[in-house]
Amino acid sequence: MMRRFAGLVLALCSTVAVAATDPRTVPTKLEPAWQAKTHDVFKQAIEIPSVHHRGQVPQMAKLLADQFRAAGIPDADIHFMPYESLPGDQTEALIVHWRSAHATKKPMLILGHMDVVEAKRSDWTFDPFVFREQDGYFLGRGTSDMKNGDVATAMAAVKLMSEGFKPNRDIIFFYSGDEETRGVGATLGSTKWRNLTDAEFGLNADGGCASYDQQFRPLGCGISMAEKTFQTYFFTTHNPGGHSSRPRPDNAIYDLADALEKLRTYRFTPMQNDVSRAYFEERARQEGNSQLGQQIRAWLANPNDGAAADAIEANPLEVGLTRTRCVATMLQGGHADNALPQSATATVNCRIFPGVQPTEVQAELQKLVGPNVEVKPDPNYIGQPTPASPLRPDVLKAVTTSIQKLYGPEMHVYPEMSTGASDGSFFRAQGMPVYDIDGSWGISPIDERAHGLDERIPVRAMYDDVVYWQMIFKSLAG
Amino acid sequence: MRNLFVAAALAAIVSTPAVSAAPKLTQAQHDAAHGMFEHIINTPTVIGRHQVPGMAQYVADQFKAAGFPEADIHVLPYHTASATTGDDDTAALIVRWRAASPTTKKPILLMGHMDVVEAKREDSTTDPFVMTERDGYYYGRGTIDMKDGITSITQAMINLRRAGFKPKRDIVVLFTGDEETNGIGAQKGATEWLDLLGHPEFGLNADGGGGGYNPDGSPAGFTMQTAEKTFAGYTLTVRNRGGHSSKPRKDNAIYSLAHALDKIEAYRFTPMMNETTRAYFDGRQKSEKGQLGDAMRRWLANPNDGEAADFIEASESEVGLTRTRCVPTRLFAGHADNALPQLATAMINCRIFPGVDPNAVKAELERIVADPTVVVTRNDNYVASLASPLRPDVTAAFTHAVQTLHPGMPVFPEMSTGASDARPFRVAGVPVYGTNGAWVVVPTDFRAHGKDERIPVQSLYDNVVHWELMLQDLTGK
Repeated sequence: MMRRFAGLVLALCSTVAVAATDPRTVPTKLEPAWQAKTHDVFKQAIEIPSVHHRGQVPQMAKLLADQFRAAGIPDADIHFMPYESLPGDQTEALIVHWRSAHATKKPMLILGHMDVVEAKRSDWTFDPFVFREQDGYFLGRGTSDMKNGDVATAMAAVKLMSEGFKPNRDIIFFYSGDEETRGVGATLGSTKWRNLTDAEFGLNADGGCASYDQQFRPLGCGISMAEKTFQTYFFTTHNPGGHSSRPRPDNAIYDLADALEKLRTYRFTPMQNDVSRAYFEERARQEGNSQLGQQIRAWLANPNDGAAADAIEANPLEVGLTRTRCVATMLQGGHADNALPQSATATVNCRIFPGVQPTEVQAELQKLVGPNVEVKPDPNYIGQPTPASPLRPDVLKAVTTSIQKLYGPEMHVYPEMSTGASDGSFFRAQGMPVYDIDGSWGISPIDERAHGLDERIPVRAMYDDVVYWQMIFKSLAG
Repeated sequence: MRNLFVAAALAAIVSTPAVSAAPKLTQAQHDAAHGMFEHIINTPTVIGRHQVPGMAQYVADQFKAAGFPEADIHVLPYHTASATTGDDDTAALIVRWRAASPTTKKPILLMGHMDVVEAKREDSTTDPFVMTERDGYYYGRGTIDMKDGITSITQAMINLRRAGFKPKRDIVVLFTGDEETNGIGAQKGATEWLDLLGHPEFGLNADGGGGGYNPDGSPAGFTMQTAEKTFAGYTLTVRNRGGHSSKPRKDNAIYSLAHALDKIEAYRFTPMMNETTRAYFDGRQKSEKGQLGDAMRRWLANPNDGEAADFIEASESEVGLTRTRCVPTRLFAGHADNALPQLATAMINCRIFPGVDPNAVKAELERIVADPTVVVTRNDNYVASLASPLRPDVTAAFTHAVQTLHPGMPVFPEMSTGASDARPFRVAGVPVYGTNGAWVVVPTDFRAHGKDERIPVQSLYDNVVHWELMLQDLTGK
């Protein structure tokens, strides 16, 4: 579950004029010898089809562990953690402990996942599990979600070790094996295995933070540090039904349609937290004096200005960022063309503002639609609200400095609230702040192919990400 | 598709007195009807079981044994299929009883269907395909829909022939093999077999009409079906670009569909009245003293009194009788709980007032919805069903047969809200009247298509006599 390039939302409003250099043609800052090493490991990683139920995740774990071992990490600090995810899916997590001889700070945790989403040869224009380099891109399943992050974090560490770098805090690497399916690895990593993973904060390499638009203007780098809670509800109506030649005054489909009409126009109360405030402060700066910019400034000045919040929420660029949102996504009703429906069900998917309980949203929805419509959460997934991670100046500074050193001062770094969930959410739920900061990038939207067809990453984005993580390690552990 | 008659809602009406004592079947005639009924109930003529051709041959053999010439008996195999019903090799039976002497009158068509709706052993108290006599009833699938009618028409013709009756005009029988599913037999009857049927002047359908007694033994009434609404299906379709559910769009296929359904919920088609429903409501108002009766009287006096028609339509007993009705029956939308829907559809089932073109209803639905993003399409190509004009000779023969067997029984014309084999004939210009003579106890015996279908034992034998009386009246004079 990779974050989309957050920068997409800024595409239409960048007011900064920049030289339109194709970022894919700019030479990487990674030395040729390390390019070759990175290429070699990345190729091997992509060619391991670590899809659920294929039993290949342990191969990925071994590949990464081998790099750390070769660089000098003792076997005692390399932990292979087998576990079962989906029924019958035997997978594995890898935990690597890079110890500091003289630690002056608490450990930090680097997060990634080794599994990938299914990809079918018949759907792709080439074999998704054969690594390719073409037209300035690396192609294959996992090139952007997120074997790039696995390889970049591991190679950055290996390179620093080879250069004699001594961290002043322990750096723990945690690579899970089922982020794309059940997230059991992250659940265990944040609880049962916490003695091996405990850290002051986590840095998640899942999904590049940066992007350019198709005119090659930098769209910024969004650091996700909070996420909305995912919860699906079912709205169900019941009726005795009967023969369709004799319509009854009450009808399950009409009752459901009435409820959906109410849902369509309903808006939850606007909310802000530290992360969203910081995000909107950056957006206001970018927007300048535009109408949206003024609306954002009005809402930041007065969080009770509901009209301003509504205007922001109504803007296609900012949908979902000012409050809880619920939307109808599926319908099912009736059993025969010539019979009155005995039941009708709508699937309503909610993204709940951080800190709000799904039971509160359920009660609010129930009040909205009235007692004739049953509102129940999807029993297969009950969302767990996670607290927003506090804004850490050291992390923000490290990311900003590193990103701008590689991509220039026009590539702004800003915090953001993700509308989806990743491995980081399990750690946030257990009290560890997590920041999604991977430094890779793509061209928006043409490179947004995570989970999709012909997944790819610019060659330079892959190599520069190794340099980026080196800078992050040095900045936060040096 | 047996139309459950509406007599449950009818109270007794003053009627003409009974005419004469009912004739009785001889023991041999009784036994023949029993034997045939048992044989065909035990033949599971459900689609996909390939049993209809065998039943058609069996019924043909009964006619042959009674002396009907082989040249006038035709078992016609045909194929029936559709995406939703599955397919089968089925058959129709045509039997022509020619007039004794040349006549200019066209034949009278007698109609029925030999197939039945599926019935599962585990859903029934007794094996639905083993006729069981218990507590004064015959139980089994098809006992009222409508192997009673097949048996009664066949036995009535055999009894009349053996008694030396000589019809003064041709009587032609058409028993189809797929009325409950695709109606292809009736379609062929109204087109390619029309020559074989001798271009009948009108039809009498044993799959319509009939009567009832209340549980207290009082007569509830008999109805003669003269019109049926047109069954037509429509689909509302909304498409949208969709997207990720974390970023709801302003336009959403489900919300557009829900909005369209809200409009359909609030809409009422213009009230309409035809000869059949006028006669029906005229009969109804005589016994209906309260507000409902007042509304009927107002509407009959002034067919433009929409308020009165609306009041009648809102009554549970009269739903669907004052106009076209459309109702959503199925919904489907979306493809994942975390994705905005790219497609949302609703099935709208309409029962259209006789004579109204289903294409006009499509146009009306488009006007109601008034949203170009909601696309209305038809699910079938049915054409408008027509009401058959009330014929004094048929009405008199039916009333006479009913009241001979059931003195004092009120008789009404009826517009069915369902559909049957009659439609293609009405469309082809052959009026059809549902004139079966079986009776049941209402409403407990309304079990067509349902569990433990049954018919009172005496009702079967009364029905044989009923058809004898009808045929004597209509072809003996």
